[in-house]
Amino acid sequence: MPPYSTPALQILNLHKCFTEPAVNELSLTVRGGEFYALLGPNGAGKTTTLRMVAGLLEADAGSVKICGIDAFSNSIAAKQVLAWVPDEPMVYDKLTPLEYLEFVAGLWSMDPDLARFKADTLLESFGLAPHSNERCGGFSKGMRQKVALAGALIHEPRLIILDEPLTGLDAGSARQVKKVLSGLVAQGVSIIMTTHILEVAERMADRIGIIARGQLVAEGTLAELRERANADGNSLEDIFLEIVGGVSAGDTHTGIANRLDENAA
Amino acid sequence: MSVIAVPSALVRFSRHELRLAWRDWAWMFSGWRNTSLRRALTGMGIFYAIMHLIAYAVLSPQFVAGFVLDQTALAMLSVTVLLSFTMMLSQAMESVTRAFYARDDLDLILSSPAPSRDLFLVRIVMMALTSWVMSALVISPFLNVAVVLGGERWLAGYLVLLTVSLSATGAGVLITLALFRTMGAQRTRLAAQILAAVVGAAFLIGMQVVAILSFGSISRFALFDPAFLANHAPAAGSAWWFPARAVAGQTNAVFLFFAASLVFFAAGAWLGAVQFRRIVVSALGVTEKTPRGRSSERAFRSHAPLGALVYKELKLIARDPWLVSQTLMQVLYLIPPAVMLWVSFGENTEISVIIAPVIVMAVGQLAGGLAWLTISGEDAPDLIATAPISAFTRLWAKVLSVLTLVAAIVLPLTLCLALLSLWGAAVTFTGAMIAAASAILVQLWFRAQAKRTTFRRRQVASKASTLAEAGASISCAAGTALVAAGSALALLPGVLLLILLGVSWCIRPKQSAMT
Repeated sequence: MPPYSTPALQILNLHKCFTEPAVNELSLTVRGGEFYALLGPNGAGKTTTLRMVAGLLEADAGSVKICGIDAFSNSIAAKQVLAWVPDEPMVYDKLTPLEYLEFVAGLWSMDPDLARFKADTLLESFGLAPHSNERCGGFSKGMRQKVALAGALIHEPRLIILDEPLTGLDAGSARQVKKVLSGLVAQGVSIIMTTHILEVAERMADRIGIIARGQLVAEGTLAELRERANADGNSLEDIFLEIVGGVSAGDTHTGIANRLDENAA
Repeated sequence: MSVIAVPSALVRFSRHELRLAWRDWAWMFSGWRNTSLRRALTGMGIFYAIMHLIAYAVLSPQFVAGFVLDQTALAMLSVTVLLSFTMMLSQAMESVTRAFYARDDLDLILSSPAPSRDLFLVRIVMMALTSWVMSALVISPFLNVAVVLGGERWLAGYLVLLTVSLSATGAGVLITLALFRTMGAQRTRLAAQILAAVVGAAFLIGMQVVAILSFGSISRFALFDPAFLANHAPAAGSAWWFPARAVAGQTNAVFLFFAASLVFFAAGAWLGAVQFRRIVVSALGVTEKTPRGRSSERAFRSHAPLGALVYKELKLIARDPWLVSQTLMQVLYLIPPAVMLWVSFGENTEISVIIAPVIVMAVGQLAGGLAWLTISGEDAPDLIATAPISAFTRLWAKVLSVLTLVAAIVLPLTLCLALLSLWGAAVTFTGAMIAAASAILVQLWFRAQAKRTTFRRRQVASKASTLAEAGASISCAAGTALVAAGSALALLPGVLLLILLGVSWCIRPKQSAMT
């Protein structure tokens, strides 16, 4: 499947304030068929941003377009092409993975035969086939996360939003998930993912955005970030700490950009 | 060598349990807000004072006329003791099952060198004391008034209450242990929960059924008719009245009753304590296992989003043993009206006046519980919220699930009623549906995302919604009875219902636009 020409996600001047701004005039774009990693320290506004994109939180200002569809004014059409996987897997203890996938397929009005075929394929890919008729109540966190991921993928979304999807997965499961995600990107699906595992972002992401205090403070490919941070040969962790570690209360997007430019000079 | 005395495991566990129990109570009444706790305690104080006034109104005629411990009085006291016992036994079975199956702190305690036997002993004593305190809160106004009017011998009632609580807790442990032995860890939880529900309701329902069969009256008080007691109850001197005599303060009866219960409780607690570790380990093993569903070969059903949501809700409710047992309790209360229908078949066409309010009340309560489960108790809210369906479809699916279940319970009774009186059946069905709709509306207005496993605490989470739900059910029941009787006074409960719903709507918490 070729990458879509329309951006998969366009966020423009998104703003959300609780007691203080959690997301502050944030703008970013995820291209069609791109794997975008959103990094940032705890409380930086990553999850708040993604929850607004998924329609789980109301924005104070700004706009979000998913595959060209306005997510605020035409939310149902936008949700049709979107999948959201939170960090805490939300599955029903009393349903089996197969029943869960059947339920999700019903919510997205899928053809039952196609849904059944996709369900079997996904359960096989995630190593859940032997457990497809067991209720999720006794599953480990990793297994529940894989069930939730299978639910997100069954309706063939064009944009997948993943909030810390690898938390709680063992090495083998994490590899399975990464393999499935890489395969989806190769097919033209776009993924935006938050993670604290910088190695995953380093190895999988086409572009990386770094967010701090609700603002996008740096964005680009790993090479571009290295170049901007004047950290040739350094790991993403070094770059991340260089950028985020220097953020103080008074810092702004422009201020940080200036500092990066100064370093580069 | 240390000179500081190290407290024994028993003492440490006792302190731990007391702290947890206190915090549980504080949470229940206040939700951890100090102002609410003060308000709750003030409210309880006022309620307690009003209960004393009610107790005085009920008991003073008996004492003014000169209290005689005749068959009627003995029967009244015995029924009170038996009722307390069945209620406490039901609660004890529920608590013991939870002690065995709830994971909570058991991983920590079982992996520590502290003797788990001591923990169970402390927990079982706490269960007995809690049920004693809870029942004393309800019954003490009557005992206090009896002490003032009839003398200090009525203080023995407190000891009898403790006795009943010890017996019920001991019996609860022994029954649960027997279930484990005969049915195994896999099935005991469901069996114990259903049995607890049946035990809790059985006595009251039994009395009602006997009253219906003997007197054609749905009132339980019909059984206290002196002529009926003279023919059917044991003579006043019989040993069957022993517990009743103990309540009335006969010293030998009090101490014998107390000593026997204490021995029974100690035996049950000890048996439970020595088997505690083994049972908990096997119970934890069960929670790790996952029941297998049907074969994975079947094709997916073709569902529109609405159908998928309704099907999911019904499946989740059907698969939750605890919820099934709680729902069963409310359904059990529909047995007396069903018996009344059967007894009156072809004879009494005005029966709907008696039956309709009972059905409507039960349906209102049942709908409230189910509505909480479907509307607030959603375990995957993010999935539902990110699905391409409108907010209306999401809510309508949940409402439809509740109405489907309620209709499945009400329809058979209404159809039977229709054979006697079409008008009565129509009024009952309409009243039941209005009660269900009112309960659903209250749950919609007061919805707050929660895990289904917190169902037990739903009534303390929002006192306003609980009161509104109960008020709406009572208004609907009264209104239905009056409409069935053809009385214009039916307008009054109707207006009261509208006011209740209006007030609930005005004080509803602000909902997020996204939910």
